[in-house]
Amino acid sequence: MTLEAFIALLGWGTLVGVDLVSLPQMMIARPLVAGTVAGAILGDLDAGLKIGVVFELLQYDILPVGAVRYPEYGPATVGAVATAHAAAGALGLGLGTVVGLVTGLVGGISMHLLRRINSRIVHAASATLESGDPRALMRLHVGGVLRDGIRAALVTGLGLALAWSVPPHINGVLSPRAVTLLAVAAVASALAAGAGGTIRLVGRGPNLAWFGAGLGGGVIVAVWLR
Amino acid sequence: MTPLPPIPPSPPPPRFGRALLRLFAVQGSYNYERMLGLGVGVAEEPLLRGLPADGAASPYRAAVARGAHFFNAHPYLAGLAVGAAARAEHDGAPAELIERLRAALCGPLGSIGDRLIWAGWLPLLSGLTLAAISLGAGWTAVVVFLVVYNIGHVALRWWALRQGWTHGVRVALALHHPLLQRGAALAGPAMACAVGLALPLTAHYLASSFGAWPRAILATTAVLGFVAIRWLPGRVTGLRLGLGLAAVALVVGWVWL
Repeated sequence: MTLEAFIALLGWGTLVGVDLVSLPQMMIARPLVAGTVAGAILGDLDAGLKIGVVFELLQYDILPVGAVRYPEYGPATVGAVATAHAAAGALGLGLGTVVGLVTGLVGGISMHLLRRINSRIVHAASATLESGDPRALMRLHVGGVLRDGIRAALVTGLGLALAWSVPPHINGVLSPRAVTLLAVAAVASALAAGAGGTIRLVGRGPNLAWFGAGLGGGVIVAVWLR
Repeated sequence: MTPLPPIPPSPPPPRFGRALLRLFAVQGSYNYERMLGLGVGVAEEPLLRGLPADGAASPYRAAVARGAHFFNAHPYLAGLAVGAAARAEHDGAPAELIERLRAALCGPLGSIGDRLIWAGWLPLLSGLTLAAISLGAGWTAVVVFLVVYNIGHVALRWWALRQGWTHGVRVALALHHPLLQRGAALAGPAMACAVGLALPLTAHYLASSFGAWPRAILATTAVLGFVAIRWLPGRVTGLRLGLGLAAVALVVGWVWL
């Protein structure tokens, strides 16, 4: 990875991390988007799309309602694509997914910590807020956005550090079969999470029939494609 | 219960564009104490500037302080509360009524927004994009996803703020708008169908480079993983399953292969 690519990925991952909750929620944080652009930055669109699809399926496992805690797959996908690009070949899919999952886990923890820090700051500023000072309100709010930006940059940095340091230690160590097995594990968990999350969204009502109809159509097209 | 005052004629919204822009950052200072409260206050503030602002106890300052109180809802629909509260402040509604209005809006705006967006519009477009990529559409599918999604996203934020300002304390009328009711009713089946279509196609796309035995292992593992996620919700998540399966794959690959 060149320095230019690293800086571009760090910037992109930060934007992706901020987009998830803070600003502007235009869904560049969606793994499909985050992964594709990361792939384009690295000149490896195929890896970006594949990793993006894997993490998009994993994202179905998450319903971001209320104050629920969940892994953060946006910056994680950027790190995963960088890993897949560095590892190259069949190893990329499996190893990229592992790096992405670890980064996503840390990202989720960091969001929870940030919310707790924000809570303390807001609690400490209660009297100022109750005075109705618009400048103080704006200052607190912008401070929250900036803290989220720093958090997103750190999480992306972790993902990119893993992408830079892990592949050289793994390349050539695993047998081809082990590499395939790792990729199978990544895809299987993504498909299971995608299906599980979708069924939870669909529920047992009339939407289940629509899901069945879509599933049937998808199976027919997939068989036809073979 | 206090009867609602009649709605005065709708004045032109002051600094509507600025309030709308600020709504895009409504969750910027998300926290467990006031949730979206600060963001809602920041977005509401431009709409309050027409209020008398002289002195520390002015109506403007009191309204700004109220605007930043606890609030939680779907971020895309928070504009309804922002517009309604600001309009109520301009109409001279009592402070208790405005507080009650904000509190009453949290649940419905969260529930409708979650059904319409998180469980409808977003997975619907995501599923269609996954299917399109699996069929070879490549990055263009991602661009189309972003554009189409955000047309709906921006339109909904604009509509919500506008409706809130128009209806004021009677904003509950806006919750019965066909856009929300019919949209939420249609989004569920469409989402279910789209994601159902996408799953087999995506499996085909991701497994395209695997041989016969990896495909057999993939099918078995995915089904077992799905069963585990369904049977042990909360305990087995996609993240835990992914890390667990990767660990098993590495150990098996290291020892036996």
